[in-house]
Amino acid sequence: MDNVVEITDLVTRFGASVVHDGVSLAMRRGEIFALVGGSGCGKSTLLREILLLHAPAAGSIRVFGREVVGLGDEEALPLRRRFGVVFERGALFSSLTVAENVGMVLHEHTALSPRLVAEMAAIKIALTGLPADAGAKYPNELSGGMRKRAALARALALDPELLFLDEPTAGLDPLSASGIDELVRNLRDTLGLSIMMVTHDLDLLWRAADRVAVLGRGHILGVGSMDDLAKLDDPLVHEYFYGPRGRAAREQAWKRSSTLPS
Amino acid sequence: MNAVETAQAVLEVVPPAGAGVARATCAGQWTIHGIAELEPHIDAKPWPATGSLFVDATQISALDTAGAWLLHRTLTRLRAGGIDAQLTGLRPELGALLELVAARGDGIGTAPAVARVGMFEAIGRKAWDDARNIAGFLSFVGESFQVLLRALAQPRRIRWRAVLHNVQLAGFDALPITGLLSFLMGIVIAYQGADQLRRFGANIFVADLVGIAMLRELSPLLTAIIVAGRSGSAFTAQIGTMKVTEEIDALRTVGIVPQELLVLPKLLALMIVLPLLTVYTDVTGVLGGMLMARTQLGLTFQVFFDRLKEAIVLSTYLTGLCKAPVFAAIIALVGCYQGFRTAGSADSVGRQTTISVVQSIFLVIVTDAIFSIVFNLLDL
Repeated sequence: MDNVVEITDLVTRFGASVVHDGVSLAMRRGEIFALVGGSGCGKSTLLREILLLHAPAAGSIRVFGREVVGLGDEEALPLRRRFGVVFERGALFSSLTVAENVGMVLHEHTALSPRLVAEMAAIKIALTGLPADAGAKYPNELSGGMRKRAALARALALDPELLFLDEPTAGLDPLSASGIDELVRNLRDTLGLSIMMVTHDLDLLWRAADRVAVLGRGHILGVGSMDDLAKLDDPLVHEYFYGPRGRAAREQAWKRSSTLPS
Repeated sequence: MNAVETAQAVLEVVPPAGAGVARATCAGQWTIHGIAELEPHIDAKPWPATGSLFVDATQISALDTAGAWLLHRTLTRLRAGGIDAQLTGLRPELGALLELVAARGDGIGTAPAVARVGMFEAIGRKAWDDARNIAGFLSFVGESFQVLLRALAQPRRIRWRAVLHNVQLAGFDALPITGLLSFLMGIVIAYQGADQLRRFGANIFVADLVGIAMLRELSPLLTAIIVAGRSGSAFTAQIGTMKVTEEIDALRTVGIVPQELLVLPKLLALMIVLPLLTVYTDVTGVLGGMLMARTQLGLTFQVFFDRLKEAIVLSTYLTGLCKAPVFAAIIALVGCYQGFRTAGSADSVGRQTTISVVQSIFLVIVTDAIFSIVFNLLDL
């Protein structure tokens, strides 16, 4: 069972419009897998379907080898404990401090003592690179980048095996965004996570993603490393990677890799 | 004992035999779910008081950040107590995790102590908050009045669409509930009065009782309370949510005074609608009393009406009705003010909505009492 997520012939419809028309893909254990595509191509919907927040019209989604389509809340619980999710806008509980946001998940699902919960929350907050005093703050007192990290700390609370990131760098300044690139890679390397992310950020794709799937016209247009995808003929993929911004990000990535001591 | 197969984390401490070295064996899954049973007892294990301790971690089958932290914390505590604790046999990939957690975890303090607030300080803070709240409300009333004056000077600036929309939501849509409740109120008053009046043979005076009670007091008050619950809360929730999503700030930046767009139409709509609703509930309330007078006291509608005409003078009707616009202003202003006081989060919207309803009902009743005193002094 090397594939943590396996999707076969997935079909999704909203009323008359078909969002996914036979999408199939597989994500391997320990890889950073990215879903890209133009706005409205169904990336986020696909993510929601894997997370059991939305039911597809047809097809199969297997997470950790288990079929999740049609799974009830009760049966989904053990599965949900094994993955963490960072939503696009953080979705931190606004009435709780950051430390309480992380601690709440631990309290809910484990029998650890309050002291250990507080310590674990502080470690998770430190792991995401937030300063120690961020734990006592409320989400609305944090900047956008800090909120993303706080949301990540909550997603990591239960030591998930699989992490989902929805637009992890959206709305961040370039400095915070490149901090997220590194954080994503670090987490995979140190905690052995498998990470699936939805993103528009070409820099993040070049620097963090192992494999990328391009969604468009209801299908997967291509899967592979960024270099593989850059060679594809599909006009949509070409446009995506060879548009003015795509070219800049690619040149940036090459420059970086050539100056790195290997 | 084959500890490797157990799902739980296991820790056994063997005290030194004679002058030997103490040993501890860790086994099982040191994961967030595995350590739950071990954690409360870990400090109570028969740890040696001094000397060396070899901790054998060969049999740890799984380790996550929670398990790594528990292990690291225990070792740190022992070392701080003067014991030379050494960890051996941990698989290299798990060792990396332990190091990571140790590096991140050593800097953290335990949860910051929450400063306790004494009783007097709490009372003082509350009093200060309330005083500022009242001052804030008064200045909000002033600002809204200014906006109102400016709008009246240029009636074209009033957003009549929004006013009419609010008239529909707060007035027309409230007709069934206010009508029903006032009808029931009329029934209750007539029913309670009937028994007493019958003893004195004064059946006919039920018309006085129902007419005066409903028109002067109950119908304006009841309607105001229902509208405060229905519409005042809605105003607070709407403005509060807009505050949270920064829509209010957005309005300011595009050069629209939020009061003009959000407060004024609500204020005007409620001041139009509440007197109308009060007239309507006057009617339904008296109808309820009339129905009860017939079934309980045998008064025909005709007799009831004749008596009602004599019992009710115009001033009775007007003293009731003139309260309605005042109540309307209170409800709209409190509702909007509490909406603007919302800060930050979804939680705050709920809190302000509660405060809004409680305060507007409180103020409506207090104002009603003041009206009673004033009318009494004026002999109305």
